[in-house]
Amino acid sequence: MEQLPQWAYNAALASLPLQTPLRLRRLIGLGDVGHVWEMLSNNERPLDGIPDDVWRAWHSCGEAHVQAVTEQCITAGVSVVSVHDQGYPDVLLSDPEAPAVLFFRGNSAVLGSRRVGIVGTRNATQRGKYFARELGAALAAEGVCVISGLARGIDVESHVGALSQQNGCGPVAVVASGPDVVYPREHHRVWAQIARNGCLLSEAPPGTVPEPFRFPMRNRIIAGLSEVLVVVESQSKGGSMITVREAMKRDVMVMAVPGSPGVPASEGTNDLLRDGCAPVTEVVDVLLALGLHHRNGSVVSLERDAAVDDEREVLRAMGRDSCSVDEVALRASLPVVHAAVLLGRLEAKGWVANSGGWWETLIV
Amino acid sequence: MYAAIRSATLLGTRGAPIVVESHVGVGIPAFTVVGLPDEGCRESRDRVRAALLSSGLEWPNRRITINLAGTAERKGGAGMDLAIAIGLLVAQEVIHPSAIERMAFIAELGLDGSLRPTAGMAPLVDAVSDCEVVVAGSAIAESMLARPPRLHGVGTLRELVDVLMNNQPWPEIDQIPVHVVEDPIADLADVRGQHSARLALEVAAAGFHHMLMVGPPGAGKSMLARRLPGLLPRLTDDEAFTCAMVRSAAGIGSGVTVATAPPFRSPHHSVSMAAMVGGGSSYIRPGELSLASHGVLFLDEMGEFAPTVLDALRQPLEEGVVSIARAHSSVTMPAKCLLIAATNPCPCGAGTPTRCHCTPHAKQRYLRRFSGPLLDRFDVRIHLVKPSTVDLTSDSPGESSAVVAQRVAHVHRVSLERQGCLNSAISAEHLDEVAPLSRDAMVWLRRKLDDGHLSGRGYHRIRRVARTLADMHGEHEVIKSEWVETAVSMRVSVVTQTEFH
Repeated sequence: MEQLPQWAYNAALASLPLQTPLRLRRLIGLGDVGHVWEMLSNNERPLDGIPDDVWRAWHSCGEAHVQAVTEQCITAGVSVVSVHDQGYPDVLLSDPEAPAVLFFRGNSAVLGSRRVGIVGTRNATQRGKYFARELGAALAAEGVCVISGLARGIDVESHVGALSQQNGCGPVAVVASGPDVVYPREHHRVWAQIARNGCLLSEAPPGTVPEPFRFPMRNRIIAGLSEVLVVVESQSKGGSMITVREAMKRDVMVMAVPGSPGVPASEGTNDLLRDGCAPVTEVVDVLLALGLHHRNGSVVSLERDAAVDDEREVLRAMGRDSCSVDEVALRASLPVVHAAVLLGRLEAKGWVANSGGWWETLIV
Repeated sequence: MYAAIRSATLLGTRGAPIVVESHVGVGIPAFTVVGLPDEGCRESRDRVRAALLSSGLEWPNRRITINLAGTAERKGGAGMDLAIAIGLLVAQEVIHPSAIERMAFIAELGLDGSLRPTAGMAPLVDAVSDCEVVVAGSAIAESMLARPPRLHGVGTLRELVDVLMNNQPWPEIDQIPVHVVEDPIADLADVRGQHSARLALEVAAAGFHHMLMVGPPGAGKSMLARRLPGLLPRLTDDEAFTCAMVRSAAGIGSGVTVATAPPFRSPHHSVSMAAMVGGGSSYIRPGELSLASHGVLFLDEMGEFAPTVLDALRQPLEEGVVSIARAHSSVTMPAKCLLIAATNPCPCGAGTPTRCHCTPHAKQRYLRRFSGPLLDRFDVRIHLVKPSTVDLTSDSPGESSAVVAQRVAHVHRVSLERQGCLNSAISAEHLDEVAPLSRDAMVWLRRKLDDGHLSGRGYHRIRRVARTLADMHGEHEVIKSEWVETAVSMRVSVVTQTEFH
């Protein structure tokens, strides 16, 4: 039999049926993975405390399993590293719950820079999304690696912001599905862009579908990779709170963006602030927390055309509230048609956003 | 032994003249109806027999053959009962053939020999209006809608036979005027606040643009929709006649109305395909789409309608007619209506972004029920938000329907003079000619197209809405950028799926 490379056995062990992160760590910890696989093929049981049915399932995986997984990794362009390998991220080496095997697409060297995790709800407000995008852009421009989960809402916005900087640091996306399984589907472009400019990371082998239990698990990796974790918006019982707990376990600094009281999307972050979390009221706060010298507030922000005359008036009239067109017209004392036209122009320039008939200003 | 009697059958919303041939001959006693009768027609035998016997007339105990000649279509309904009965009497030489020359008979027979109206009296009478038409006494008013030159209403078969046999005078019919019924339409002045929605409603009325309202319960979607007929111009005589014919054919015309107010139909979301576009097993009945002709078809909770029903609306809305094709026949019915639809923005219906607890996924799934091509039919798509308490309690009423209707009528007049159709019907080729854009407007639209915010079809639709907006504001020539931008703002994307570039 032709000898396969080590990574192929790593991948094969990681994709065994009924595999869990802990079982995988113990298997990898046994030493040479080629040898471990041989033991499994010989129906040996090198570990204690593993149920019989799991052993039976593992023993039934033949050489074809290794071949299949290897081919899948090669076609998907996925690299495999285990804790024993050179390419394994240093930050995770000291992590007690770090995944024993990582699958990634792209350039894992970006993890060598400073790292900030940005997390938040999928059900974000327009302003929250805008802030995540601004934050992502500013951090990337400063050479900071943005780490997030590439979910809907805050996650993807922070990635899009980071990707908007030509010479910025590429972002890292820690995903719950296999690195080749795009979820949610509408993110396929960002997904590809991150694989090109940054790094897509997962502990799930290629082809793994995004099962619900995988999401809380990947959050621990985000927490483990971050130096500072910023929660932009989160419900009080959101998935982001799992990341926050994991971060606190690891002594990672957690920062939260304050929101208006009574807005569900900010309940979680406001709770965090009450409990003594550091607030983020502008992008600079995060840079300061990292100890990065910043040049007198000259933080990169997203480019947009300046609002002119009447448009400025509309922005002022709207303030930080969600307004309907009628309300904007009333506040700015404009005819409805005129208000609708101005809002359309501001939207095109990126100053306001509309969700379900409610307009919000995108001013941080 | 033989008689040919004129009558009519209903094909969709039109009547078709037919000849009921009767032959009473020697042979084993039997009764056969040929000529593509439907089930209702076959049952005529028992009704006619009972009616003849009840009227003291004779049922020929011989071989009877009835042929429904005239069209190759399937014939349905009970309206040919009377013609069959008269045919049998003529064939038996009880009535002399000369007595029924140039006459047509349309009525159902009761077992006691009484004459009854049947569905679609108006179109049926219309089909044979070159003859003297005999109908049930109670159907006179509805039959008058067709304005036949000579019409007789008779109560019972016996009465009719007496007239025909003994040359007695026809029973007097009270000259029931075809009266015009004014359904009260709620006034737009009742709507407080909602300025942008009122504007959109006016645009919809002025250009006959289909409109979709997305908003939470309590935002006033139904309230606005119900006021739309009040903004449309009164029906012309032709239009009112068409509407009355359709109502009669649908069997809801017995109220005898020629309404000049545009019809308003709001079918429940459990409506079946046949009830919506027309159809049915025995005879083809016009659907809600035809009933709303020249008026408003309101679909409340559009997401709850069966997707097949919604998609079936697409073609008729485009063509203004609905064609029901069957193996044996095909029927065309009017379907030129203004579609106005309403839906909640998400399953929870909370309305404000801060209170809504729906996940983006749930929202998407809710709104994805509408097919893209269907959403595309709506030129005007607006978000509605709940009006503020200030607006609700304010004393100052908004503009009344009458004022808005005047402007709408003006736009209708101008657009008909200019291009011979309303603005929503301007063809893509004529847009440059009748809806020229200013430079600014062109630049703005081009940028929207380049950004990918606008599809090619959306581009044409926005130009039509902009034409209407400009017309509403008295600018009938080149369209300023302002109107194009307003038109864009009135075409919100309903499905909130964000593609990241």
